Amino acid sequence: MRENIKTVKNRRQFMKAAGLAGTVGVAGVAGCVGGGSDRGGDKFKFGVVTSLSGDLRFGGEVTRRGYDLWKKTVNENGGIDIDGSSYEVELSYADAKSDPSTGADAASRMISSERVDAVLGPYSSNVTLAVAPIMEKNRTPHISGSAESPRIWEQQFKHTFGTVPTVTLIAQRAAEEILSLDPAAESVYVSGVNGPFSKATASAMRDAAENKGVEVLAYDLNPSDTDWTNVVSSAKSQDPDLHFHGGHIGSHVSLLKAADQLNYDPDGFFNHYGVNTSSFKEGLGDGARGTFGATVWMPDLERSGGKLFGSAADYAEAARAEYDSDPDYTQAASSAAGVVYQQALEELGAAPPLSDTQKSKLVEIIEGASVETFYGDVTFDKEGEFYHNNTSTSPLPIQLQDDNKAVVVGSADSASPANYPVEE
Amino acid sequence: MVSTELLGQSIVNGLLLGGIYVTVGVGFALVFGVLEIIDFAVGEYVMLGAFMGAIVAPVVGGEGLFVVPLAFVAFFLVGMIVQPFLHHVTTGDRPMPLLMGLVFTFGLAIFMRGSVLTIFGPNTRAVPTKTLEGGIDVTGIGTFPEVRVVTAVVGVLALVAFMYYLYRTTGGTAIRAIAEDRDIARLMGVNINRYQSIAYGVYAGLTATGGVFIGLIYSAGPGMGLQYTAFAFFMIVLAGLGYLPGIIISGLVLGLAQSLTAVYIGGELVFFVLFGMIYVLLLVRPEGLLGKGEVS
Repeated sequence: MRENIKTVKNRRQFMKAAGLAGTVGVAGVAGCVGGGSDRGGDKFKFGVVTSLSGDLRFGGEVTRRGYDLWKKTVNENGGIDIDGSSYEVELSYADAKSDPSTGADAASRMISSERVDAVLGPYSSNVTLAVAPIMEKNRTPHISGSAESPRIWEQQFKHTFGTVPTVTLIAQRAAEEILSLDPAAESVYVSGVNGPFSKATASAMRDAAENKGVEVLAYDLNPSDTDWTNVVSSAKSQDPDLHFHGGHIGSHVSLLKAADQLNYDPDGFFNHYGVNTSSFKEGLGDGARGTFGATVWMPDLERSGGKLFGSAADYAEAARAEYDSDPDYTQAASSAAGVVYQQALEELGAAPPLSDTQKSKLVEIIEGASVETFYGDVTFDKEGEFYHNNTSTSPLPIQLQDDNKAVVVGSADSASPANYPVEE
Repeated sequence: MVSTELLGQSIVNGLLLGGIYVTVGVGFALVFGVLEIIDFAVGEYVMLGAFMGAIVAPVVGGEGLFVVPLAFVAFFLVGMIVQPFLHHVTTGDRPMPLLMGLVFTFGLAIFMRGSVLTIFGPNTRAVPTKTLEGGIDVTGIGTFPEVRVVTAVVGVLALVAFMYYLYRTTGGTAIRAIAEDRDIARLMGVNINRYQSIAYGVYAGLTATGGVFIGLIYSAGPGMGLQYTAFAFFMIVLAGLGYLPGIIISGLVLGLAQSLTAVYIGGELVFFVLFGMIYVLLLVRPEGLLGKGEVS
């Protein structure tokens, strides 16, 4: 018996309506958050293209905190000193909405309409890869405080720099340390999200295992929105000693929840980015404990210190006062990107707004700069596969231990004993 | 070689994933079938339900299951409040009511997502449960995650209960009459506004309840809604437009297809396969998998 309810509506109406929804959605995608285009000469104006909405909004918010804290602190300290005159910093935000093409559009508008002196880069590698060519075309300096995909640096963009070492280095070095824990793992299952950053992470994890002579049971890439029980089922059937996963926080949480639901219990999970963030800990609650991660910076690390913020601890204190939460390495690297600009502009000695020639000179100064910061010494490779990436900051493996507090583990002098094999 | 245990586990995963989709699809199919509304906010009701679970569960003893009835009641009332506005933009002399409703709910979805992002921030949040932890190992078949089993059962029960209401009660008859011909139903003395509000309230309540369960399974995050909106669209196309019982079949087919594709073909091809299924179905069988949907 047919149990249809309605006869008037039909498939054509449905598809027409769905099509309209798509059109409305696309129309709503692009959008600058920044202000008007008037450009005075009393401030350095930086454009910021990052993900303030969409799937990667958490990471985008982290970069915003880093950039904002730098702006606030530098302005409170009198601004950027150019030959005895001080110039405050102004940030103009554009929302990339976690979408590369939207980010590229926003970057173009930022340069043509907002007439920014320089740009602070996106959170994600995907958006950075879309924004960097715009910066090349417009010869505008661009420093990312977050993007980690090696594909960015392989492209040899002259105007793009990054303060976070590429994930190839971070994930691989941290993975090698974790694989060296006692008892040494004999097999590993590598999963990841099928995107530039996450894929590079998973690939680096796989390379680390192969370098250590550990059997890689699978290299399993999936869309970010997949149901991770499928990956967990495959992994569980192969019973690895360790499970490595390359992705962002959402997929980490979903993977570990699925593992708990399916009673999948390897000796340890290693998720590269975000383990030490409130979003990861709140997403998993008690289930976060024991997870391994990687970092290039933590508040209690000894780093060179230097310009503007002082030590790592001083920076962390300033961040807590501003946001009531501990900063992670992405936030720190975002602030460090601002510090690099600050030192380079002081060396350039040109008042705002910068001319095209001055912007080109600024790029040359950044390329040759060595900046001592709370985040560590920042220098950029001048050639090779990591061209313009700051590879001088050392990666470290971490683990969430008591009260989900992250501690450094592995072979570093400051390392704590690892909870391994992980006991609940 | 195909492992029997992995195959069994993949089928279990797929069926239970399908059960999750049913909890979302049933309400969506309801408003589409009864109110002629393509509700773009369906995924955001899921998100709001999940967030309610994350926020309220710690207050009620740290047990997300206690939030389930609260979510149904709360969002039933929300639906009752929203529906008159929806009715206003889809009736009268406005052209293309289906599109008007879609645009209205699209705006509603953005408002909901933006509000949660503004109030609660971008963090992912756990919906805690002390009752449904881990899974039950069944030798030779696989592990049945407790929370997913309960979710799937609730989803199917909700659909059965709603079908009973729709086909075995006076209220359900009134709703079907409205769906059949609004003017004649009004002439027969049916209170159109009241029953439409009830239908939308039930939809919002059911979907938010599904959201609490989805929060228990995954977690709650402001951006989680969109994928459920997409899956709800998939489900009513697969089920056959306007054919409510088909939701169970379409949910299970989607879940199984997703699970088996991920394990045996490749995780990166999951959405390619799912979209491919929809396109092929629209071409060769537009009345849905069971052949009982509407086609002009």
